[in-house]
Amino acid sequence: MATQPESSNTFFSSPSKETPIIKLEGITKSFPGVKALDNINLEIYRGTVHALLGENGAGKSTLVKILYGIYTPDKGQIYIDGKPVRIASPMDAIKLGIVMVSQSPVIIDRLTVEENIVLGLEKFNMFAPTRRVRSKIIEVSKTVGVKIDTTTEVWKLSYTQKQLVEIVRGLLLGARVLLLDEAITYLPLEEKSRFYKFIRQFANEGGTVIIITHKIPEAMDVADYITVLRRGKVVGTVPVKNTSIEEIRKMMFGEKSSEITYERLPPGNPGEVLLQIEDLWVKGDFGDYAVRGTSLKVRKGEVVGIAGVAGNGQKELIQAVMRLRHVDKGKIIFENVDITHKTTHFLRLNGVGYIPDLPAKYGVSIENTILENIAIVPTFSSEIINWKRIRALALKMIKEYEVKTPGPETPVKFLSGGNIMKVLVARELTAATKMLVAYNPTRALDEATAIKVRKIIKSKVINENIAALIASEDLDEIFQLSDTIVVMNSGKIVGVFPAEKAKREEVEHLMVM
Amino acid sequence: MEFPISMVIVRRVKPLPYWIVPILALVVGLVISMMILYVMSGGQTTPYDVLLSIYYGFTNLGLLAKTFALLVIVGIGLLVSFKGAIWNIGGEGQFYMGVLLAAWVALFTGFAFNELIGKTTMILMALLAGAFWALLAALPRAYLNIDEVPVTLMMNYIAYYIIDYIIMARWRERQYGYYRTETIPETTKFQLIEGTTLSIELLLLMITIFVLVWLMFKYTSLGLRIRVLSSNPNLLRSSGISVHLTILMALTISGMIIGMAGAAYLGSVSHNLSYPIEEKTPGYGYAGILVAWLSMLELIGVPIAAYIIGALHTAGINIQIAGAGGAAVVNVFIGSILLTYAVLITISEYKIRIIVKKR
Repeated sequence: MATQPESSNTFFSSPSKETPIIKLEGITKSFPGVKALDNINLEIYRGTVHALLGENGAGKSTLVKILYGIYTPDKGQIYIDGKPVRIASPMDAIKLGIVMVSQSPVIIDRLTVEENIVLGLEKFNMFAPTRRVRSKIIEVSKTVGVKIDTTTEVWKLSYTQKQLVEIVRGLLLGARVLLLDEAITYLPLEEKSRFYKFIRQFANEGGTVIIITHKIPEAMDVADYITVLRRGKVVGTVPVKNTSIEEIRKMMFGEKSSEITYERLPPGNPGEVLLQIEDLWVKGDFGDYAVRGTSLKVRKGEVVGIAGVAGNGQKELIQAVMRLRHVDKGKIIFENVDITHKTTHFLRLNGVGYIPDLPAKYGVSIENTILENIAIVPTFSSEIINWKRIRALALKMIKEYEVKTPGPETPVKFLSGGNIMKVLVARELTAATKMLVAYNPTRALDEATAIKVRKIIKSKVINENIAALIASEDLDEIFQLSDTIVVMNSGKIVGVFPAEKAKREEVEHLMVM
Repeated sequence: MEFPISMVIVRRVKPLPYWIVPILALVVGLVISMMILYVMSGGQTTPYDVLLSIYYGFTNLGLLAKTFALLVIVGIGLLVSFKGAIWNIGGEGQFYMGVLLAAWVALFTGFAFNELIGKTTMILMALLAGAFWALLAALPRAYLNIDEVPVTLMMNYIAYYIIDYIIMARWRERQYGYYRTETIPETTKFQLIEGTTLSIELLLLMITIFVLVWLMFKYTSLGLRIRVLSSNPNLLRSSGISVHLTILMALTISGMIIGMAGAAYLGSVSHNLSYPIEEKTPGYGYAGILVAWLSMLELIGVPIAAYIIGALHTAGINIQIAGAGGAAVVNVFIGSILLTYAVLITISEYKIRIIVKKR
């Protein structure tokens, strides 16, 4: 059962005899137009893994940013080891042993792993021997099972390796409390479970981990306690062993939780072929072929879902279709026109919407407003921008997708990660009058919103008879959304199934074969 | 052995309020200038003299007017490329190519027979010349990703020496044998507003350019694309907009506007070209960089910054007249302020901490 935090327990000892390592009392934080956190009371204990769960914009990120000194609370008090503290900057937080690792690694690409870690560490200076750094990296990477050569430049590393570098840096800073802000959410499944092992070990050795995530299974897998936030308030804290996915869902979404379902959405009605890919060969970032002779068809009124483990050529295939990557061999035909050498602009003017991976990097410009992020797409504006029309469109999108924002003039950087994704999805679905091309279209979204987005995509496919080509690393998404499931492995298509006949085990087997 | 002192640079979570930087840069930069001038003049130019000159500079509007208007135009021109994070350091070259072509129209084409046709052609040709000069740097930047900063900078010197050559070897006036061209015909001289150094044509040009650039950034896709170019070029790509073309347009339009300032300079200030051309102006192309920076890349800030820099320019000349230093006094002001600005903008975003370890 969810225990409601008592706001009146300030003067009484807490039920546990132990002093919590972190105690938050009445933390409140407002931003222009939104109350992000409203009287938060929370206790976190040494040696535990504590997950903060909540839907997009629930206040999770704001809360950890307060703990890390990026924001200061308007009201309330933080206690560390029972003593009241003021955390005014990340430097203060680090001195208290609190270190944050975020979802986008904050490391310098051109420096080596060692240099990155040494940089900014107060304990070392620029001429310090790097031996300790090296041995710590080796130690941690052994636990996690990801190999890193400490003398390589960071730009050569994979996302997983970069996250590892960040964590090692945190440990070398003397972290007692690790704040992981969606830091492992986007790792490939297998590597994720290795990180869980590391987190568990860190906690067993007396460390404390606070994990921020919008994925319930992730929290259930790794945490000891789950605190659910909703609209800036604590709904409750529960020990993982006494709870269930359904209970957490209810705490997160309230009545909306009943809408969460992973049943297949109603099937489309495939008509004539709109997109045809013939024997496509496309090179990856490092010059070797990432797509190796792929052929597939997408029909009007059909969702084709590409399943596969990240890094098997899906990204390159999607980019080639969007004409963002050079095609070395083969043909792409759209509406009976050979588009192999046409531009992205041509596709945009012909009703193709595109949801790229890593939305903040490729899909929006966070410095610009929501309005500007819509107006920039040629589908919505010609040489002269009709702001009145863009504004009307924006307001419609904000309403339909429940984007939490003070208004359409707000710069996108002030929105939460999930709301940024909503802006992108809304824009691209509006742009997609003939076809939608997407890569992980819902990965930054919480369950309820993700399912809502899938429903909108599917109903658009059915009602407006558009075609959709969607690659996703989330098999639930592939199975829920697709009419045809295509499995991609090592740049080749290794299986094509009509969704109603596809078996999960079989697809999973082909993915890792 | 560990070194006892180390330096740590950390990004500020909350940058300092952005209006503090230009104001502080001005104050600190001026204090530094006063110290330099005091030392260099052997104690003859006191801070009091400098302050008096600055007061004179800020209040003598008639004298200030032409510098102000030219700096507004050049500043706006640079702003167009700076907004796209394309660093056009070639304002000087684009300005002088504008001057050159405007002079060619006025002296050699016969368009000068009619006042309106003559002046319009001068401005148009100067516009094309500035655009062409910028395009030469824009093409390698857009298509070969060659850094525009050294290229535009070096193009300034190429422009200087081409024009110097033309003045000396081709267009030199014969009558008195000075190192200069003939004076442009009366019909092509811009009409000065009484009691000022400003011409009607220059004023109109400044207002027109201000309004057009405002409209461009407010209502056109091109303006938005240039802004997004600096914030996230990846978004341009995935939206189907050519990044190459956007870079090309940003830099070319920038040169175009600055070229027009060149025509206005010829028509209302110099009336001829004289050798060596690079020493005949206070360097509007470089001063414009300071104007654009002090404006914090806001169009509305350009006239304010141009007023301040224009006033300091007048102040500098005033100190020269009073006998301190040569033509370089103006550059002492500009250099000190720009340097202070560069340091402050870094400090506003990054904290630098020196840590001394106790043994």
